[in-house]
Amino acid sequence: MSFITIAIAILAPLAASLLILLVRRMPVLLALSGMALGLVASLALLLNVSSGGSSELLLPGLPHMPLRLITTPLTVLLSTLVAVIGSFVLVYAVGYMKSDTEKVRFFATMLLFIAAMQTLVLAGDWILLLSAWELIGLSSYLLIGFWYQKPGVKSAATRAFMVTRSADLGLYIAVFILIATTGSSEIAATLNTSGTPATAAGLLLLIAAMGKSAQTPLHDWLQRAMAGPTPVSALLHSATLVAAGAILLIRTAPMLTPETLLVIGIVGGVTTVVTGLIALGEADLKRMLAASTSSQYGLMLVAVGAGVPLAALLHLIAHAAIKSSLFLGAGVFQHSRETTMLEQLRGVGRERPKIFIGFALAALALAGIPPLSGFFSKDAIIAASLNSDSIWVLLPFALAGTLLTGSYMARALSILWHKNQGYKNQQQKSSQSKSVAGLVWMGAGLAGLVTLAVILAAAFPAMKTLLNTPLAENITTEFVPAILGLVAALSGLLLGWFVPVQRLLGPLLSWANNGFSVAGGFDNLMVRPALAMARGCEKLERIFYEGVLAIGRMGLKVGRIVRRTDDKGIDGFIFSFVDSTVNLAAKARTLQSGLIHKELAIGTVASAMILAISLVALMVY
Amino acid sequence: MYPIVSTTVFLPLLGALLVLLMRKAPPHVVHGIGIATSGVTLLGAMIMWARGVNETGFAQLEQIDWMPSIGAAYRVGVDGISLPLVLLTALLFFVTFIYSAKVRKQSHAFVALMLLLETASIGAFVALDAILFYVFFEVSLVSMYFMIAHWGHEDRQRAALMFFIYTFLGSLPLLLAILGLYLGSDPYTFDMRVWISNPPLDGLAAMLALIAMLITFAVKIPVFPLHTWLPAAHVQAPAAGSVILAGVMLKFGTYGLVRFAYQMTPDAFREAGVVILIFGVIAALYGAFAALAQSDLKRLVAYTSINHMGYIVIGVAIAALAADPAIRATALDGSVLQMVSHGLVTGALFLLVGMLQDRAHTRDMAQFGGLIKVVPILGWSFVLAAFASLGLPGLAHFPAEFQIFLATLQVEPIAIIAIIGIVITAGLYLRAIAQVFLGDINKTVYDNGATAATLPDLNSRELLALAPLLIFTIVLGVAPGWVLDVIHTTTIALPF
Repeated sequence: MSFITIAIAILAPLAASLLILLVRRMPVLLALSGMALGLVASLALLLNVSSGGSSELLLPGLPHMPLRLITTPLTVLLSTLVAVIGSFVLVYAVGYMKSDTEKVRFFATMLLFIAAMQTLVLAGDWILLLSAWELIGLSSYLLIGFWYQKPGVKSAATRAFMVTRSADLGLYIAVFILIATTGSSEIAATLNTSGTPATAAGLLLLIAAMGKSAQTPLHDWLQRAMAGPTPVSALLHSATLVAAGAILLIRTAPMLTPETLLVIGIVGGVTTVVTGLIALGEADLKRMLAASTSSQYGLMLVAVGAGVPLAALLHLIAHAAIKSSLFLGAGVFQHSRETTMLEQLRGVGRERPKIFIGFALAALALAGIPPLSGFFSKDAIIAASLNSDSIWVLLPFALAGTLLTGSYMARALSILWHKNQGYKNQQQKSSQSKSVAGLVWMGAGLAGLVTLAVILAAAFPAMKTLLNTPLAENITTEFVPAILGLVAALSGLLLGWFVPVQRLLGPLLSWANNGFSVAGGFDNLMVRPALAMARGCEKLERIFYEGVLAIGRMGLKVGRIVRRTDDKGIDGFIFSFVDSTVNLAAKARTLQSGLIHKELAIGTVASAMILAISLVALMVY
Repeated sequence: MYPIVSTTVFLPLLGALLVLLMRKAPPHVVHGIGIATSGVTLLGAMIMWARGVNETGFAQLEQIDWMPSIGAAYRVGVDGISLPLVLLTALLFFVTFIYSAKVRKQSHAFVALMLLLETASIGAFVALDAILFYVFFEVSLVSMYFMIAHWGHEDRQRAALMFFIYTFLGSLPLLLAILGLYLGSDPYTFDMRVWISNPPLDGLAAMLALIAMLITFAVKIPVFPLHTWLPAAHVQAPAAGSVILAGVMLKFGTYGLVRFAYQMTPDAFREAGVVILIFGVIAALYGAFAALAQSDLKRLVAYTSINHMGYIVIGVAIAALAADPAIRATALDGSVLQMVSHGLVTGALFLLVGMLQDRAHTRDMAQFGGLIKVVPILGWSFVLAAFASLGLPGLAHFPAEFQIFLATLQVEPIAIIAIIGIVITAGLYLRAIAQVFLGDINKTVYDNGATAATLPDLNSRELLALAPLLIFTIVLGVAPGWVLDVIHTTTIALPF
């Protein structure tokens, strides 16, 4: 029975997506029904798993490597998360996209996105996981590029896909290593890999996760991805695209070796600080939230590095609800003022008090204020780093990340709430909120998610029992980490609320605004060399093609002479052949009409045949 | 049993004769005959598919004595390596005939030539006699020469001649190798099955024969540095010619690489395996980078062919180097599937570029922009085909490339650097999509007086030609099993 339910959890959104594309009408109705059906299926799976059930669905794949969908507490919990967040975001999107003319394309792609993510979390084998991993890349490319006519959008979409795909090579090679070592493509069977293959695979998985979860130094694409519609940001920052990276590491945690764990912890720690500072200095609300996402995923990686993936999972779940709430709130502010620049949003909170309260609750939850959900998940992370062997590496990162979270959220709240008198006088008109279409739908989606963000912590004990891992015992709300976390969060909030960012960041500010890009970032380190390489090839092609310059002048020093004689020999011969034939043909054309060089070509065949036959004759005798 | 293989091979030839007899028939009747003939041929290929293959070598054998004194006979049959290619060939010709129904320039000659080319192409894949194979191989060459020289674009004559001489001179070494294998066999025979089950040459003779064959197939595939004919020929060929050239004729090279080089001189192939692998890696990377530098959409697609065919060379070399039969089968499965995937995807891409060129009389990407709004069906089809070509899961190239790379890592881990190619192709296709289809609508007025904003979307003829390729691209990506099972039946049973 439950294998049908697994199929429905994926197929319902997928079918809705295809149906929307086919019938091209009622996109909203179809999208919501498909999503609702998928949600019911996920909840049914959750019910089944919590009563001890588990199931597996085998599908035909490659020879000896079937595709698998599995229900385990972890996969089903994540599937439910995707379905719940997805549903609320879709409800919100109904309002947000009310006046957009391309609802068909929007809702079809959103549901494809959700279906791909469901496949990713429920996948039980590497090939299916890899496929879903790439498909969420595709759907996010289509969604980020949704308004493809706007300036900057196509490059944002292209960059998002390219950065993540470059990092995906890590996943490809890791998968090859794991299958080669264990002879199986089943994820569970590959998790008992150990030794060097495990370290190599673990580090390669980390690269893939760094791409998807936008970890330093691959964090830059996520901020640019804000070019897409807000519901897209809400979805891809919470339960889908970005989550995939952390989910990958959480699922493969049993296989990660101590060396790998340390590297993961450091990458996460550096990211949480670097992107936290970027968020603090950011002038645009949505870009700030994007940087904050990287920072929070950095904290999750710290937890994984500390050896407590459960803490990372709890934070992932809490963060999903919180961050989607924040984006949905930001979307309403955006519709009110037609901008996302913080300075121009000054005081918008007073005009939309209900939305602001929701936004503020989510912000406090993210900062880690009890009894909101973020407090408990962050507490778990700090506790994990306290109990870890690498406490002196991980704990400072965890605390700094918490402090920064408080600071940038307080700064945003302060700007959204306080009216600046001088500013208001200057731009009286433009700062007036205009009425927003579809506010009811948006409010409903937001309310649902904020509620989730507030109360989710109540479900944490149940989740721990459900997951029933030995690691669950590591997580208890202890006094020391709780106090440490609370102090960090509160001091962060106070700093952010009272101290202007210029004072806080000082000389770091301009660098932070530049995304802490080192040596020009992705462009200089990856794109330029690739294009240079391409131009090199093209140059080589021209040399080949025109046969003018010697090949040996460029290219490798080793074997230069051999290459020169070979290439020039072959090509020069052919070109002189072509040219002389063409010349001959041109001359001959004055004497004879008709397509002379066809005859010539046939003549060539004939004479070569005769030549070949005489050669054979020679060989025989 | 009814000789369905021979029927499938020679049906197009019959159609060609019919076209030549009906000299007075108007173009649409002639095209009708072309479409109908290739349609029935496709049906024949499907019946061949239904009859299937077996583990013991070649199935569906048909044989007639021809020149018994020298051991040459008409012998045809299929195995898991050739059967998918036969089906692919029949499908590609069918859609090409539909697409070309607009050709008015000497439509009799065009249809007859295409049908002749179809017979030669299917014949080359089913031939089990080396002489027969060589004849089909050369006939296809002549037909393609006329196709480019007569129905091509602006600089067609030079490109056609270059194509002809390059591949013709390239195929002479194969003839020598065939004769060498013949002289090595005892008793003398041209039966390829005998050469495969009992390789006639060894030592230096085998290595020389292998080198000769490698030269021929490297030109055909094409492998760097013998690829320079390809961009020129593709750019100048008519869209129909490009589809067949890339979709079918490049496969002669990779098919020959497996059927002749790998199967008939297996020991020499294994010895030279590393060298072949290196050439494959270079071709894959070079093709990708060269494609990245193109501004002509058709040249871009042509160069990605070099990249994709490079993966096949890698796969075959890895199969030869692998000690474990399971890994060898994986590598070969991937290679053969890649041939099919490449035919479908690149066929679709060349059709789409041809459709763009029909409309705007240019292939320069800088002259386009924002087209997805103007021609949404064409645009989204291109996006789908481009993502298939860059190896997105769920589309045709992924299962093939996955298997090739999986085997590569297990046999020669260092060769996995070729996987960088999938990032480069992603980059170049995304750039092409962004430049041609996204952003603002280009204001350029084209040669034919059209502007980007007034281009018409696909008509039903074009849609009909394109749809089968795109549908199979998805089907093969989602459920490659039905093709892989056929391939695997043969590859797992190979004795070496």
